[in-house]
Amino acid sequence: MADRQFPRKKQGMPTTLPVIDSDIHPTLDPARIVQYLAEPWRSRFASGSDGPGTLGYWNAAGFHQADAVTDDGDAIASQPETLARLFFDTYGLEYGILNSESAIHIGVGPDMTFGAALLSAMNDVMANEWLPVDPRFRASINVGPSDPQLAAQEIHRLGDHPGMVQVMMGSGARIAYGQRFYHPIYEAAVEHDLPVAIHPGNEGVGITGPPNAAGYPSSYIEWHTTLVTSYISHLVSLVTEGVFVTFPTLKFVMVEGGVSWIPPILWRLDKNWKALRKTVPWLERPPSEYVREHFRLTSQPMEEPENAQHRKAMLEMLDVEQMVMFSSDFPHWDGDTVDFAARSFTREQRSRVLSETARELYRLPSSTAPAASGMEQALTYD
Amino acid sequence: MTEPSKPSKAGRWPVARTADIAPGECRIVEVKRHSVGVFNVNGEFVAVLNVCPHELAPVCRGPVGGTTLPSPPGEYRWGRDGEILSCPWHGWEFDLLAGNSLTDPRVRVRRYPTEVDDDTIFVVL
Repeated sequence: MADRQFPRKKQGMPTTLPVIDSDIHPTLDPARIVQYLAEPWRSRFASGSDGPGTLGYWNAAGFHQADAVTDDGDAIASQPETLARLFFDTYGLEYGILNSESAIHIGVGPDMTFGAALLSAMNDVMANEWLPVDPRFRASINVGPSDPQLAAQEIHRLGDHPGMVQVMMGSGARIAYGQRFYHPIYEAAVEHDLPVAIHPGNEGVGITGPPNAAGYPSSYIEWHTTLVTSYISHLVSLVTEGVFVTFPTLKFVMVEGGVSWIPPILWRLDKNWKALRKTVPWLERPPSEYVREHFRLTSQPMEEPENAQHRKAMLEMLDVEQMVMFSSDFPHWDGDTVDFAARSFTREQRSRVLSETARELYRLPSSTAPAASGMEQALTYD
Repeated sequence: MTEPSKPSKAGRWPVARTADIAPGECRIVEVKRHSVGVFNVNGEFVAVLNVCPHELAPVCRGPVGGTTLPSPPGEYRWGRDGEILSCPWHGWEFDLLAGNSLTDPRVRVRRYPTEVDDDTIFVVL
């Protein structure tokens, strides 16, 4: 391309006066910038974490598992065929729920007229180009919670698609999910018999508030560890605002929010209810009972205490067989494999966690899929 | 992964030429049906069983580099370039020269002795 021409004289500008321009924007070459950075900033910058963009935290472990690539170097999860062959086949999955990356971030953008259009386009890619590729694929309808009317329209548009099994939003939100503001979303979901799910990762992004109640964490480890506070906030909001009284058939899925924090939060909630019931008179039962009935949790990231018995004890306090569903989070850095997850649950819990609770929730027909290689491996451990 | 190596004598398996593995690089080989990563750690050859003790990931496929050394809050000190292997799945860091995890000395990758004869690297297994 030819250099751009600057026809200064033609525009009649005086050439004799000196000119000082007080605002010009050069683009610095990142390859040059990295030469001036000391470690660990050099590694951080070179890995693509270059400061406040989405939020600018540094996940030093890498967002994707480093080996989640084909022999050609393409991301396994970037094509339906490679995802089916190199992940579903490897672990012998009967079904898998596909939750597209980035959608939860788009759902909290400031311009939801555009955001809703973009999410619809992403949902169409899933419906038209991924779901038909493999009968084991199911997917979530991504919606933007900050405009519930547009979100409900999208649920009605795709809610009866046989491959779409739930509605998905981020756990980072402008206001808590129990508020009446969101009722159009729940009303639409219930009409199509779809559970509503939330997924972490957009805390602090777009028009959401600060990532946690103390404000803005400094580091990725602080941000990621405290994501659970979003889940505590939404869970308590959904129950106390009476969402499950208004929508008695609604199921709410807390994806990737952890599991072991729930029993003590429910103790606290039930205790408070005994004194403060009159502030939430629509609740007819202890709050924890609504949680057991209406919430489902995905298993990853499994908490890994030093003494594994401690985790088992925590799980005894939860109705694991009714509430917990296996999830891998593939290909993300904090994922769990089937065998690792299976070993963490008792024999009695295992079939419920690995498949049956999800089968009921998502109404997935039994298939005659061959026994999972990952599952066989899991069953050899105890 | 390369073809299984033939033993030149019991327990001593030729796996690569020294020139094949540059500093900071790894070659994954199969020795006695074990997948083993052979690393060039600043000139020293280190053999590691390609299994992470956490969730059994192929640990040797992870990046090798330096890391942040112990330091006061808010300060960063970089060091140990080329000595730290990070698991490709969950980022657990292992000291290639000692085998231990940087967060828990009891958690270790399995290391095997290596020998160099002329320009051939052997893994003792």
